[in-house]
Amino acid sequence: MELLKDVLDHINFIGAVALFVIGLYTVVTHSNLIKRILGINIMGTAIFFFFIAVGNVLEGAPPLIDPDGNSEVVFINPLPSVLILTGIVVVVSITVYSLSLVVRIYETYGTIDQKEIAAIQKGEDYSD
Amino acid sequence: MIEQLPIVNLLLLLLTALVIPLFKKKNFKVTLSLNFAVLLIVWSISVYLLYYVNTEGAFYYRFGNYHPMIGLELLIDPFSTLITFFIMTMVLLIFVYSTSDASDGIHQREYGRYYILMFILLFSMYGIIYTNDLFNKYVFMEILSITTCSIISIKRKKQNYAAAFRYVMLNEIGSLSYLFGVALLYMVTGFTNIELVGQQLETVWQTHPTNIIIAIGFMIVGLGLKAAIFPFHIWLPDAHASAPSSSSAILSAVVVKVYLMVFVKILFRVYGIDILDALNIPSMIMMVGAVGVVMGSFFAIAQNDVKRMLGYSSVAQIGYIVIGIGLASYVGLSVAIFHVFSHGMMKTVLFLSVGAVIYQRKTRLITSFNGIGYLMPISMGAFFIAAIGMIGIPLTSGFISKFNLGIAALEGGSGVYIIVLIASGILNAIYYLPIIIAAFLRDNPEKQTVLSKDKVPILMLAPIVIISLFIVGIGLFPNGLMTLIEQAVNTFKV
Repeated sequence: MELLKDVLDHINFIGAVALFVIGLYTVVTHSNLIKRILGINIMGTAIFFFFIAVGNVLEGAPPLIDPDGNSEVVFINPLPSVLILTGIVVVVSITVYSLSLVVRIYETYGTIDQKEIAAIQKGEDYSD
Repeated sequence: MIEQLPIVNLLLLLLTALVIPLFKKKNFKVTLSLNFAVLLIVWSISVYLLYYVNTEGAFYYRFGNYHPMIGLELLIDPFSTLITFFIMTMVLLIFVYSTSDASDGIHQREYGRYYILMFILLFSMYGIIYTNDLFNKYVFMEILSITTCSIISIKRKKQNYAAAFRYVMLNEIGSLSYLFGVALLYMVTGFTNIELVGQQLETVWQTHPTNIIIAIGFMIVGLGLKAAIFPFHIWLPDAHASAPSSSSAILSAVVVKVYLMVFVKILFRVYGIDILDALNIPSMIMMVGAVGVVMGSFFAIAQNDVKRMLGYSSVAQIGYIVIGIGLASYVGLSVAIFHVFSHGMMKTVLFLSVGAVIYQRKTRLITSFNGIGYLMPISMGAFFIAAIGMIGIPLTSGFISKFNLGIAALEGGSGVYIIVLIASGILNAIYYLPIIIAAFLRDNPEKQTVLSKDKVPILMLAPIVIISLFIVGIGLFPNGLMTLIEQAVNTFKV
């Protein structure tokens, strides 16, 4: 029971780590380049999730000033959410860049499978 | 007024990147001279800041004057100014080279874009070094990784796209691991500012050791991936070999070093030597570095493309720096930073002189270097100086760093690593000497045995010669640089 309670108390952290591992697995094992980019996105989301979970306070209110002047409320920590806004922008730009690179790879190699690309590369030396 | 200078640096670099597309493409010389002027201004500001912090002391720049608990902060201390000074000196010389080396695979239309990327690259490196905030470092690191990948994929070759894609994937795993480490540290300390986290860790270390151990694991792996420390080096040779010559030099000499400097900051400003020793991390780092030194050299021997060989040689040289960091002593860290400088200079000369060979001879195979010393004596002479520096022969800066590293290892009680140093010196000789012998002692296909001048623009040769003179100069008189480095190392909790 102790263990179950521990797990339930930290379910948000465990969920974030699980997502991170799923994302890493996708990046490392799939040979399809688009699926790899998806894996990176899942990893990023996991960390954002983790950050937000860190900032959460049980039964806390959103960090907005109450117009009624009620100052007894416990707020959740707004700083992680602010950091994560930046983080989301960063991951989106990385995704856009790598997707555009995949477009170029498809144009030149005619495939988006890592194994096939490696097979094509094997026969060629670099030339200027 | 002086407090504003670091932000002026950052803004100048960013604004220049924004302004470049507005200029006419026909008259590209105007853009180039403007870029050069900006680089020169930023360089002089960096020199002035270096002088200022070494005489008057370090200072902070707080954006909007928020408390560092919630706001961003730049820390201008002897360490950050020294590294930025090095970055700017190298990039200034490489910029001069790049203005003439037009043939290296970049399309005429894309010169402007190339320089935009170069300025954003510089901006993000300055940001990474100046900032005193872990999350802010992450954001700058992402800017840096996007721009480095774009600078690799700017050549319209299929190999470049594949290399850039591999680079962006591994880099991204690295950045996200680093960010995960930051999240774990934020969880137990409640700050992202490096100094505040460092203070908190001393107390939190007793109560929440698990978080801290996992966080350092993630951060070491993440930064190791980005800095190409040995088992994570697989992206480096492809990426650095396929990039244009001038950007290979920037990537190998400067960009990788910036990540290593972040690594140093994390270890000795955030964690501090007590926690590291308790976790036995320094000795593990040293072992990884030693394996990297030997394996990188072994891989380098097997290459027939000279730029790939230089890439693997970088992996080996990063191993030296990692050994220096892993010694976790005052001397070890100063040697590591000294080697950052000396390797930066030597690798720049090697890549640029190979770039000159590619410019004149249109070839990059090691077998085609026969007798090339008669045709291009200046470039190959510079190559010779840098190569003997890599091997560690006296009168070069490479000798000074290897010698001091050996002494530091003995003082730190890890004399075993001297064997690694000697072995790697021999391995370096195995792959650098044949090129020199072929270049100066074999016959060339044209059967020319009289020295002739290099058929390369003077602006390409000048930076190569200047940096080779630096290598010899620092090899003869290392004390001036050493004093600056000692000032920088004093800012760490070693």
